[in-house]
Amino acid sequence: MDAVIVGGGVAGMQAALAFRWQWPDKTITLVDTEKEVGYYRTLLPQFMNQTMTEKKLFFWGLQDDPRLKVISGVTVESVDPRNRCLFLDNHEKVYYRRLLIASGGRPIVPGVCSPRDCNGIFPVRSLTVAREARDWLPKHPEVVVVGGGLVGVKTAAHLAGHNFSVSLIEKENQLLPQALSAAASRLVEAHLQQKNIRLLLGSTVEDVQVSQGKIGAVQAGGKWLPCQTLFVAAGSLPELNLLRDSDLLNEDRLEVTPGLQTLDKNIFAAGDAVTIVKDGLFTPWTWPQAVVQGKLAAQNMYSSSPKSLNCLSRVNCMNLNGLSLVVLGVPVPGAQVSIYSRPKDGIYRELFHRDGKIVGGALIGNISNGGRLHGMMNSGENVEIGFDELLKPQINTFFKGSPSCTRYNRRASVLQPEGV
Amino acid sequence: MKAIAVHLDRCTGCKTCELYCATERGSNAKTLLQAVQETPLPQARVRVEGSSEVPIALQCRQCAQAPCVDSCLTGALRRDPESGTVVIHENDCIGCWTCTLFCPYGVIYPWPERKIALKCDRCLYMESPVCVDACPTNALELVDIEKYEEFTRRKRLETAAGLQENEHLAGKLLLDLVQTR
Ligand SMILES: Cc1cc2nc3c(=O)[nH]c(=O)nc-3n(C[C@H](O)[C@H](O)[C@H](O)COP(=O)(O)OP(=O)(O)OC[C@H]3O[C@@H](n4cnc5c(N)ncnc54)[C@H](O)[C@@H]3O)c2cc1C
Repeated sequence: MDAVIVGGGVAGMQAALAFRWQWPDKTITLVDTEKEVGYYRTLLPQFMNQTMTEKKLFFWGLQDDPRLKVISGVTVESVDPRNRCLFLDNHEKVYYRRLLIASGGRPIVPGVCSPRDCNGIFPVRSLTVAREARDWLPKHPEVVVVGGGLVGVKTAAHLAGHNFSVSLIEKENQLLPQALSAAASRLVEAHLQQKNIRLLLGSTVEDVQVSQGKIGAVQAGGKWLPCQTLFVAAGSLPELNLLRDSDLLNEDRLEVTPGLQTLDKNIFAAGDAVTIVKDGLFTPWTWPQAVVQGKLAAQNMYSSSPKSLNCLSRVNCMNLNGLSLVVLGVPVPGAQVSIYSRPKDGIYRELFHRDGKIVGGALIGNISNGGRLHGMMNSGENVEIGFDELLKPQINTFFKGSPSCTRYNRRASVLQPEGV
Repeated sequence: MKAIAVHLDRCTGCKTCELYCATERGSNAKTLLQAVQETPLPQARVRVEGSSEVPIALQCRQCAQAPCVDSCLTGALRRDPESGTVVIHENDCIGCWTCTLFCPYGVIYPWPERKIALKCDRCLYMESPVCVDACPTNALELVDIEKYEEFTRRKRLETAAGLQENEHLAGKLLLDLVQTR
């Protein structure tokens, strides 16, 4: 086989499609543990609350392509880089010339959240588990979500308002601690509380009560909460079990170059499984990054002039049941902060900047200009018009300074730039 | 592939393009008089920006490598295989706004009331873009992207040649200055 991909999540699927397009004569095999591949993991909360059908989750249907083979429902147990061979749990072997590891992440499930023989506990990650949760939920509407990161907050927000009573437990004193400043997270907290979500910040799960083989209650911050359904969204770690005996890991990390190559020149990796090394370690584990990395890895696999990722940011955007929110990056040590706040309207916008350049920030309640601010952050553009001006939620901001011809040219297809 | 370009010297910032785009593409009634009474108020996919002295109508540039398509969490943003135009399929859009964050030109807009993102698809399923037809000064034009790129390439070369000429002149001036000292 010319190439093999481990993982049919978005990084793996995009890589497979890009590979077929880039190298039309080469063959590729994709292996995934789950029965189905190519679905929108990001939509699992909407699928579990029944606002989205299963059909809508899939972005890829098996096509009749003799050069693309998909082996689903099979796990790659280990890799032998010397013989370029993969060992599968169905006792078969697959040989490769190039390998892409896109095995994604696995949810962290604290020991206390996995009592033996207990139904009603669901780590939020896979469709297989989401299907079970979707069937379980209607008869078990008292929900507790563990973890106030992106996945936990999204899960709680989508369940609230659908006849579920929802409590959210987060061990830090704020929600989205890896994405937002404390001040910014206050707005998210207020919004979720308004949606009748009970927040337990600065608390961890201390104990769970199981009755008749089902979860019955959860203890957090010394209080017992009734709980019929427990969602575990306490973060994720790269799924690298298949590499445990190889020399490819450095302190449990699968490190890759910005061209997504591992220590072995025949093995590439992309998505939530990787740590990118470029003047430091980067873990931009987001959907858009997984898409871009999957495509790039496929291009680089047989390329004589491999390309590098040009953006390593972990920006994100979401609509939490009515509250729009853009994350450009957490506060950076030594950076200055500029804030635009209209508490009455539920708007809070902040930018972190250093030497005249944007290095992070968040837009809450009003996300206008998010794309341009992200673009400026990525390109390291110098902010000429002042950060306070830039933060104002109005569309004309970017032309206020000096409406130069180049500025226009970059945003519009201008036909007659003379005379400006 | 085609995109809508703007003649900067003809755009007066009158916003006729916005009005007609919002009416034709965003309203149920499709007439201006009724559209302004609809709730939610119809929104345009083209927006006039810039200062009052130098206004400009901005819409999607239909990037060849579109970051919005890569960032879409639901597959609502897709490229039309025939025309190459990037289209939002509203039925699949959940209004997560991720595309608005990844558009470096800032020309995809959230429409929270309808929970969808808005972008120009240059009225793909109509005979011609409504903004182009409606513009009273003919400032908007449907152009071939390849031809447009050739145009900008020529402009860049001309500018570079101008700069070189200027540098040459500046160098000569400096030399003259040094020699006259
Ligand atoms: C509920 C939820 C909501 C999210 N929302 C957002 C959001 O709004 N925005 C955003 O940017 N990101 C979001 N994310 C994160 C985003 O989904 C991930 O960053 C992205 O899916 C990573 O893609 P991936 O292909 O690297 O990994 P994954 O999608 O995890 O895919 C990895 C695949 O590899 C398979 N696999 C693993 N090990 C093996 C093995 N040994 N053998 C065979 N197959 C294997 C797995 O079965 C899996 O299918 C969300 C995640 C979740 C769970």
